[in-house]
Amino acid sequence: MNKSNRRTGFSTGAQVGIYVLLTLVVLLAILPFLWMIMLSFKGNSQILSNPLSFPTTINLENYRRAIQLLNLGNLYKNTIFIVVVSIAIELCFTFASSFALAKMTFRCKKTRSALYEFLLLGLAISPFILLFPVYRINTIVHLKEQMGLVMPYVASSVSFNTLLFVGYLKELPSEIDEAAIIDGCNLGQLIIRVIVPMAKPVIATVVVFNVLYIWNEFPFASVILHHTSNYTLALGASFFKGKYNIDYSGMIASSTLMIIPELIFYGIFQKNIVSGMTAGAVKG
Amino acid sequence: MHWLSRKRNILMMLIPTLMIYLVYMIIPIAIAIGYSFTKYTGIGKAKIVGFNNYMRLFRDHTFWIALKNTAVIFVIAFVLLMIGAFVVALLLNLNLKGKSFAQSLIFSPAVIAPIIVGILWVFILDPQIGLINAIIRSLGFGQGIKWIGGKTLTPVSVAIVYFWQQLGYLATIYLAGLKMIPVEIEEAVQIDGASVWQKLRYVTIPMMRSTISTVAILVITGTFKIFEIVQQLTNGGPNHISETLITYSYSATFTNGEYGYGMSLATVTFFISLVVIAIYFGLSKERGRKEVS
Repeated sequence: MNKSNRRTGFSTGAQVGIYVLLTLVVLLAILPFLWMIMLSFKGNSQILSNPLSFPTTINLENYRRAIQLLNLGNLYKNTIFIVVVSIAIELCFTFASSFALAKMTFRCKKTRSALYEFLLLGLAISPFILLFPVYRINTIVHLKEQMGLVMPYVASSVSFNTLLFVGYLKELPSEIDEAAIIDGCNLGQLIIRVIVPMAKPVIATVVVFNVLYIWNEFPFASVILHHTSNYTLALGASFFKGKYNIDYSGMIASSTLMIIPELIFYGIFQKNIVSGMTAGAVKG
Repeated sequence: MHWLSRKRNILMMLIPTLMIYLVYMIIPIAIAIGYSFTKYTGIGKAKIVGFNNYMRLFRDHTFWIALKNTAVIFVIAFVLLMIGAFVVALLLNLNLKGKSFAQSLIFSPAVIAPIIVGILWVFILDPQIGLINAIIRSLGFGQGIKWIGGKTLTPVSVAIVYFWQQLGYLATIYLAGLKMIPVEIEEAVQIDGASVWQKLRYVTIPMMRSTISTVAILVITGTFKIFEIVQQLTNGGPNHISETLITYSYSATFTNGEYGYGMSLATVTFFISLVVIAIYFGLSKERGRKEVS
């Protein structure tokens, strides 16, 4: 047996086959991205007449038009605003409730597990049944545009955050909080000074996961945001698709401009994203 | 901890989350079901019409088309993803060079916005400007195929795009399950001289039962939420033939302004997805019992 065989326990032929298969899967995953980047340098006429041809020159016209027409800066500003406000609120709310469920003593044990399970129900609820009712509730409580989006986003995060926070907080040793209480901490001090620093890894995972969710969210945004000036990136993406004609090159350039920051974000926070997306699934 | 666990404290900690969860998650479902028994055009008051919307739904040709398309998407995506993601996970579980880099590339489609996924695949599937047909034409195999916008293929294409988007994500979940199989068991099986297939059939798959269930549930709930992909590829058209349950309820509600009817579609869709989950659980429990006995 040679060295490479010992790595996998397969014969050399099977080994080559395995690498070929893995390469094919990787190509399948990235080919649409590469295709998009190549198209983004071509004009509409070239895309329509001869999509396969390589771009003759690096034509940045599409990008210029996309940035100008879309007001990309504004889309980013709106998206970031909604992300920041929603996540600030949901972190305060769900961390507190998860702390109560994980650490505080309930007189009746059943109440606690019932509440916990109730808060997890949301994992099975499809947003599409909520769209119109949420729109109605927003008009009743006088929330609209961006603030109208914040509330459903916070509510959508409750189940996932509860799952991760309660799971993590339960594992923390309770001797530490008892020592802090004996030293005279009140509830607020205990949470902010003692618990939050210990929970940093899970908070990071929750934040990164929710940034991604809100950043990509389309159905709620399409129903609740009416003014173009309040649009988020996900809504802006379909801007170039008119009812009767489609500006393909504008669409592809704007999509590229939205994807690239997202892929960079993924590159940086890959660990948190992957662990958040899988932890939520595996524990649920 | 019980020192600080006075009732007032606990309530204070729980109430904000509970309030927002009730108002924006639980009550809306009741509202949706409520509206499904009314006729409401957005002006004036909703008129209660009993089961009229549900009767109409059974007679509505487009509803059956949407149901059929959703079923096609679900079956194809389910088979492709359950098997495909498992194979990819097995690959990534081997001791291969560059596997973590490969894994992060394969995972990347799950990170980008579904709406962009839809746009991206327009440029691949579109009969006129798409990559696939451009290749077919340049090889001289005729004018290509109507992958989207034709009479039959759109749901198949939607399933494939969804497969592309979810493959790496679900493979990663499978991979987490594979990593939980104790090394000792794998080694013991290897020493006993089991072939790769035997090991897979009698050790790996039985030990992965709960992970397989997780993935199945994710695929079921996920396929009932596919929206942006359809919306970008065909927007349910032409003439509603590529509509899914979700896109049809969305367009009935927000494009046509038939809020009552739209909510009956949304309610039915929601319950269908719950029923599919229940059926899956029933089947997998049965099979588990048979194998034990």
